[in-house]
Amino acid sequence: MTWSEDAAEALADAGVELVAYLPDSKMDVLIGEVVEDDRFETVLVSREEEAIGVLVGAWVGGNTGALLCQSSGLANTFNAIGSLSVPARVPFLGVVTRRGNLGEFNIAQVPTGYNMDKLLDDVGVRNTVVTDPENVRETITLAGETAFSTQSPYVVLLEQTVTGRKPEAADD
Amino acid sequence: MTDARADQYACTESLLNITPDAAVVSNLGVASYVLASVSDPERARNFYQWGSMGVTTAVGLGLALSTDEPVTVLDGDGSLLMSLGVLSTVARYDPDNLTIVVWANDVYGTTGGQSLQASHTDFAGIAENSGLDAITVRETDAFADAYRGATESASVTVIVCHVDPVDPDARPTFDFPYIARRARDSLTTDT
Repeated sequence: MTWSEDAAEALADAGVELVAYLPDSKMDVLIGEVVEDDRFETVLVSREEEAIGVLVGAWVGGNTGALLCQSSGLANTFNAIGSLSVPARVPFLGVVTRRGNLGEFNIAQVPTGYNMDKLLDDVGVRNTVVTDPENVRETITLAGETAFSTQSPYVVLLEQTVTGRKPEAADD
Repeated sequence: MTDARADQYACTESLLNITPDAAVVSNLGVASYVLASVSDPERARNFYQWGSMGVTTAVGLGLALSTDEPVTVLDGDGSLLMSLGVLSTVARYDPDNLTIVVWANDVYGTTGGQSLQASHTDFAGIAENSGLDAITVRETDAFADAYRGATESASVTVIVCHVDPVDPDARPTFDFPYIARRARDSLTTDT
């Protein structure tokens, strides 16, 4: 299976019912699979911090949720994560395409993308980085299971070695 | 245009009377303090926000999509101003159990009452142009009528209610995980 098929199965295995997302070029294939998959209810948001609100509301309504977005978009969520998800102990599973590291051509992606693991640590959100596509399914499944059982967010960062790198700026 | 303003306490009491079973997602600050002032402290379905300014309506959307119970958002004009895109998102999914109230007091009430300096902005017009039904009210009786109609509507309605700024003494519990857990238990446990 492809990394995105593995990721979709892992979301289902982890018990995810609602997926909030914003498009990203690398995430596009996974979003497409999740939107077409009857196992998931999907919500396209206009800004990533909206997704945090949607996922918190979904949890209070009895659902479990995941966020799909890119690392720069995850940076948009920090006040919502830090002042709602974490202190209210409301879990979500984040699956995030990480920019700013190996293969990055755009300096604007570097400050929050390269440092996203440290930024998440600082705000109190556990996270892990996947560099090998072979590890996608198990990592996302385990991340979801620990997020929902501990009732705290967990974010999986997918490197460009998993999702494929952008060949050049002109294609951005 | 009249400059009459409704009473936020009376309007909040009114909405609780009209929809006693509704889950109520209240914006941080004044909206939550007024809700805490007028409702039973044990009311489990009050999901008070202690932070995340600008995210309250999004919380209501996620909740409305995840429960069959009525969901009412009590947002503020300053908070909505920083997250207007959420109105387009709400219109995309348009859950039939969601009603959005925006308390328009023209100030950042929780930080000392600084002016929004946004009197030129028509929040109901923005909601309509985002694809939602919307109504502006300036009196408590008109609010109750609008709220009753909104909760009976199959589409999401945004009620922009102009109110005088208030500074309540009441506070919700500071135990934020308890607030979320209590609301979740109330909505997911069969009674």
